[in-house]
Amino acid sequence: MCYLCEQFGNPEYGGGTWYLNPFNYARNMYKLRAPGEGFKGADAGLETGAHSGPTIMDLMNAIECNDVAEYQRIRQIMQEQGQGGQVVPLADADRVLELCSPIGLIACLCRKGVRAIDERNELEYTCMGMGVGMLKWERWPERYKGGTKFVNIDEAKEWNHEMDKRGFCHILMLFGAPFIGGFCQCDYPDCQALRNAVDFGVGTLKSHYLAVVDYDKCNGCGICAQRCQWGALKYEVTSEKPNIDLFKCFGCGLCETGCPRGAISLIRREAVPAVSEVWL
Amino acid sequence: MTTMPTKIPEFIWGRKFPKITIDHEKCTVPFLCKKCLQVCPEVVFHVERVMQREKRLEEMDPRIDGNFVLQAPRRDKCTVCNQCIEVCPVGAITIEAPEQVPFRIKGKGEQWGQ
Repeated sequence: MCYLCEQFGNPEYGGGTWYLNPFNYARNMYKLRAPGEGFKGADAGLETGAHSGPTIMDLMNAIECNDVAEYQRIRQIMQEQGQGGQVVPLADADRVLELCSPIGLIACLCRKGVRAIDERNELEYTCMGMGVGMLKWERWPERYKGGTKFVNIDEAKEWNHEMDKRGFCHILMLFGAPFIGGFCQCDYPDCQALRNAVDFGVGTLKSHYLAVVDYDKCNGCGICAQRCQWGALKYEVTSEKPNIDLFKCFGCGLCETGCPRGAISLIRREAVPAVSEVWL
Repeated sequence: MTTMPTKIPEFIWGRKFPKITIDHEKCTVPFLCKKCLQVCPEVVFHVERVMQREKRLEEMDPRIDGNFVLQAPRRDKCTVCNQCIEVCPVGAITIEAPEQVPFRIKGKGEQWGQ
């Protein structure tokens, strides 16, 4: 069981899966502050993204200093801060969108940062925010440039499926665990959450699923190999079929939804003992 | 939480990363220019708006000098291909390549015990 389910799951809702527990969408994102007190991390440097605590820079320094223990210590702290989130396959994403309200389509902050892509209207938005935080979007005109397009459950599902078709995977974002505040549509290397997970093993947890190939149904078209964002699925030249490294598989289900012959299916992570507790 | 990354990182422990310095006097409107951001094959660069307390809740005009700042946070991925330096119209980027430690095989065939 992943540590988020252990801490924030409820057996009565969604069988103990933390993101199917509606209470995790209901917590107020904004804590009350004493008058005159600024927001946490206001004086933090630019490079920290206004988060207090260690950053990816510190991990890089630990690698340069050949300090494995320091690297692991920083990773531990970053995980304990409750940022990050979890990868969610499309079928579970539909269930998630039935639980939260309101849902708003917004501009993606990562694409704005790494490629200076300015998404200014609802046709360009590639990010989804959810929960009470969305109602305060007007407070941050720079973050929510072009505003927020509020959608209902069916529109949100349809949009999510559309993004899946384009090849984005879906990552639920924690804004201080257990509060779920966003549903990112990610690809490598633009998405920072995905990149931190792949490059450094911090932040986003792998999903509760793993992708497996039915080699009898597969005709080796190779569409799945184009869709994998994690470097887990590659086209094996010898067999002319895809090969999935389950240690690297994040269980996002992009290969499954992209397969025209239904040859890839998702199985529960628990079913594969050696990777059943591999979340990072 | 698992104790080790499941993926063996592509970097070797102790590897030195390139040092990328950006002259913010020269690079003033990175969000408008965005040439290095788009040309970098490894997506090393990141443009961020200024985070001062008093400007936190304001909308930033990318045309005004210094409202957005260019950084190179993902320098672990920098290959020193120098494409960003070539494309930069104001010459604001300098990259210091890390020293490469040459590797030598010590034996001369005797390890096979011929």
